[in-house]
Amino acid sequence: MAFPKPQATLRSATGIPTGRLAVWWLLASEVVIFGGVLGSYLMHRLGHPEWADAAIHTNTWIGATNTFVLLTSSFTAVLAHQAAERGDGKTAAKFLLFTIGGAFTFLGIKSYEWWYEISHGYTITSNGFWAFYYTAAGLHALHVIAGAIIMGIVAFDAWRNLELQRVELIGIYWHFVDVVWIFLFPLLYIAK
Amino acid sequence: MSDHQEHHDDGHHVNYFKIYIILLVLLVISVVGPIVADVIREVTGVAWVATLLTLVTAFGIAVYKAKLVIENFMHLKWEKRIMKWMLTTSLLLMALMFAGISPDVMNHEGNNWRNVAAEAAVARGIDSGEEEVVEEDTAPAVEVAFDVESMFNIVCATCHGSEGLGDGPAGAALDPRPASFADPEFWETRDRDRIVQVITNGAASVGGSPLMVAWSASFDEGQIQEFADYVQTFRPN
Repeated sequence: MAFPKPQATLRSATGIPTGRLAVWWLLASEVVIFGGVLGSYLMHRLGHPEWADAAIHTNTWIGATNTFVLLTSSFTAVLAHQAAERGDGKTAAKFLLFTIGGAFTFLGIKSYEWWYEISHGYTITSNGFWAFYYTAAGLHALHVIAGAIIMGIVAFDAWRNLELQRVELIGIYWHFVDVVWIFLFPLLYIAK
Repeated sequence: MSDHQEHHDDGHHVNYFKIYIILLVLLVISVVGPIVADVIREVTGVAWVATLLTLVTAFGIAVYKAKLVIENFMHLKWEKRIMKWMLTTSLLLMALMFAGISPDVMNHEGNNWRNVAAEAAVARGIDSGEEEVVEEDTAPAVEVAFDVESMFNIVCATCHGSEGLGDGPAGAALDPRPASFADPEFWETRDRDRIVQVITNGAASVGGSPLMVAWSASFDEGQIQEFADYVQTFRPN
């Protein structure tokens, strides 16, 4: 089954393919969403010197490992796009599956990390730092889950050489999820 | 593949593997940098070098990593200009939000206001050190290092004024106005028990203004007794 294509994707007033324009619009709104959370975190962190006592409990190595996982999954996502550009749907689908593997690895590591922290008493209600920690990383994890689901749908079609332009579109979204993590990592893990 | 819309990055010849390796090298630097900074701080005692190194390796590199991903993986480099303006607008809105809100969040007092909750959170966090974060959240809000005069100035003086004259900045807008403890008439109908009762359960519990709220959730009995004693020091002889 190929997923139906909306009429709007067949025309373009801007000279940019409509699907890609839509993804960029989505990301422009995401910038404000994550920007709002991270900006609020930053101003509170600067106003609350005592948060440093909480921040020392985050595990830099787990954060770094997850950064490595997301960077690698971004790399496979762009390789999927490259394959789609060549018209090689099967290879594109394989690289998308690698990327989905990256998403699950990320979520698995994050689950362990949260389980460890929550079982040691650091919960979302412990103090302001932990409230932001779980909110920002949780919102990001929801985006990872959404990306993995959409990538599954796109890979399903791409395997049969259908709708290959969507490989690029989900890739752009996935790189954005990567970029958000690139900023979450120093904010939550490195700045002690 | 016939419906493929636009091969916009054909011919860009981005070496994705090279970008990926650079990103990994930057990741290593961003982890090692702050560790080196800690060593520098301990060995030389020069704090500003260490802070600068942490800022550059953690946040400077994050910005550069994001730039590499956005330009080369997301292909924004080759995207039409309107797209860059769209994203710039989002970033500007973000900056506007930060500029508008951060002064009130980062400062805990201004000319006419104090953020009592934030001050208490800072005092609580710093006094009790890193161990408090685990189980401290059920403790009364302002219990640590209780000093009745400074606590009166933080909690009560916003409405009652630091001299107890009922002229605190937040009190000016209240109706009825906060009581003046220096007014002899005030004391004609009050005794110490009633003061304790009002602080504990709020003025509404004795038929007074509901704007004077109950404080029993924030202070224990002994502390409320101290407040009552302190309020009586304003009483004219």
